[in-house]
Amino acid sequence: MMYKIDLVVIGGGPAGLMAANTAAEAGAEVLLLERDGHLGGQLVKQTHKFFGSEKQHASVRGIDISTMLGDRLDSFGDRATVWKNATAIGFYEDGVITVDHDGVYKKVKPKRVVVATGASEKFLSFPNNDLPGIYGAGAVQTMMNVYGIRPGHRVLMIGAGNIGLIVSYQLMQAGVSVAAIVEGLPKIGGYAVHAGKVRRAGVPILTSHTILRADGQESVERATIARIDRTWNAIPETERTIECDVICISVGLTPLAELLWQAGCEMRYIPALGGSVPLRNDCLETTVKGVYVAGDVTGIEEASAAMVEGHLAGLEAAASLGFKSDSYDAERKDCMEQLTALRSGPTAEKIRTGLACTACL
Amino acid sequence: MLINTGVPTREQIELRLPSPERRARGPYAMVECFQEIPCNPCSTSCPFDAILPMGDINEIPAIDLDRCTGCGICAGVCPGLAIFIIDESKGDGTASVTIPYEFRPLPEKGEMVRAVNREGDVIGDAVVTRVLLSKKTKTPLVTVRVADEHVHEVRFFNLIDNKTVCDKTSSKIEEEPKTDDTACATDDDEIILCRCEGITLRTIRDLIREGYTTVDEIKRISRAGMGPCQARTCGPLIASEIARMTGQPVAEIQPSAHRAPVKPMPIEFFLGGDSE
Repeated sequence: MMYKIDLVVIGGGPAGLMAANTAAEAGAEVLLLERDGHLGGQLVKQTHKFFGSEKQHASVRGIDISTMLGDRLDSFGDRATVWKNATAIGFYEDGVITVDHDGVYKKVKPKRVVVATGASEKFLSFPNNDLPGIYGAGAVQTMMNVYGIRPGHRVLMIGAGNIGLIVSYQLMQAGVSVAAIVEGLPKIGGYAVHAGKVRRAGVPILTSHTILRADGQESVERATIARIDRTWNAIPETERTIECDVICISVGLTPLAELLWQAGCEMRYIPALGGSVPLRNDCLETTVKGVYVAGDVTGIEEASAAMVEGHLAGLEAAASLGFKSDSYDAERKDCMEQLTALRSGPTAEKIRTGLACTACL
Repeated sequence: MLINTGVPTREQIELRLPSPERRARGPYAMVECFQEIPCNPCSTSCPFDAILPMGDINEIPAIDLDRCTGCGICAGVCPGLAIFIIDESKGDGTASVTIPYEFRPLPEKGEMVRAVNREGDVIGDAVVTRVLLSKKTKTPLVTVRVADEHVHEVRFFNLIDNKTVCDKTSSKIEEEPKTDDTACATDDDEIILCRCEGITLRTIRDLIREGYTTVDEIKRISRAGMGPCQARTCGPLIASEIARMTGQPVAEIQPSAHRAPVKPMPIEFFLGGDSE
């Protein structure tokens, strides 16, 4: 059978949850597809307090935001349906979305779609990069914070962006030692306050350094790192060996956009946003009518911006179906102002540069 | 520099220090936030409006030390754990620092700990004088008493008796004694680009040399990108390798075609389907 509904939201992370909540609030019938067995996306692994303002739940821990947004969705009763363990596996040109829901093949034809699929992690190529003990930062967080498993005893972190810094801190909270944080750029990419937290707990941050190779018999036993020059070539005689049983790769994210490619959305490769992103208008609608986007799939940003984008996309998708509440204008204006504020500082310069290239008319 | 090291400079700290009169008068908040980031809970949480309202959420917090009572509410809410409460008013040669401390086990009141500076180095001893738990922020605030001259240095502590968060002596990184370097010749064989299908960098490079210069061509001839991850991991790596070897910009290299399904599914799955 073909399921018909007003709006399908693909992805139950911060952007998707906000989109589903907003559209259901406006009166639309919403189906939220979540690949995992629980809602929240990356929020469930975020044990640290969020930045931003109260509107994006600043100072609340990500895991608690996830619960708040999920509870709110529950409050809409039959108007909001959630399929967990449900992966959208295809998006066809006639607007049909195919779903693997708990092993059952389902087809859905919604009037509108919000794609909030998030991002995947970038990886590095170096000798022995397939040794057991080499993980993406997301996997390390999942093991520790979702399943309560320590990934190892002594970790070498690659990447000093916010994720690398935060995961290092969380590893130490879990009682795992962090040997060093290695960063290829000459400066720390993440917030200085996150860097300060790991520095005072004794972890060196080595900027202008890279990993050359991993070694070990059955699994990782050590890594070789070196200082690099401006063209990312290792400087001779600067090699060092670091004993570790885990190498954690945290070198950036890339938008998870295959469903948008399949739907025929016009895409553009924008390095500042992490990879290929959909062109969209100021309602977050792509070049395929009725297909909206929100969160990291639109370009890599913080979760605070993802939540506001989700709010905006849900609001616009519902409004385009006639579900337009009295507060529509005020909410729209508020979302725009929040996004402008979150993206106005010096740390968001890259995001602003990237976003300038994403507009479609 | 802060942006290279994660540690603020002495000048940055000194510029934030209150006047000697204010320091002698009673506890105050030391806001060690030196970077414009979109964040304002310190200012919105202060019950005395001592942390001034921010016109732009990216502003660096500004504090009115005449209004600040050193209550510590901002230190508990700051997501960056970058606010410390300093009390230099005792006048007995000691001063106290209140530190947001999110590690277990927590120290107990009266316990001796090792005082640690912003770089993670132990600089002396300290005594825990208060451990404040907050249900709301879940960030414990631990107050330690240190020697006067250390109060602007101490920003962390290590527990004694092996309860240390991070033993810096064990993370000392030794310079590598030069060993024989035979590894480089075979490096390309040891680097796996496509983890699902086990395709090495050497294979990919050989194919590019043979004239396969799109991600799709390489996928079809080698199976790289056909496994469970469907090129999410190897796709960008292969594209950048093509860019490097052919001199094309990465932006011009098309990713492999994206077809449904986005993950490998058994054929029988499609024969099933729900018949509600």
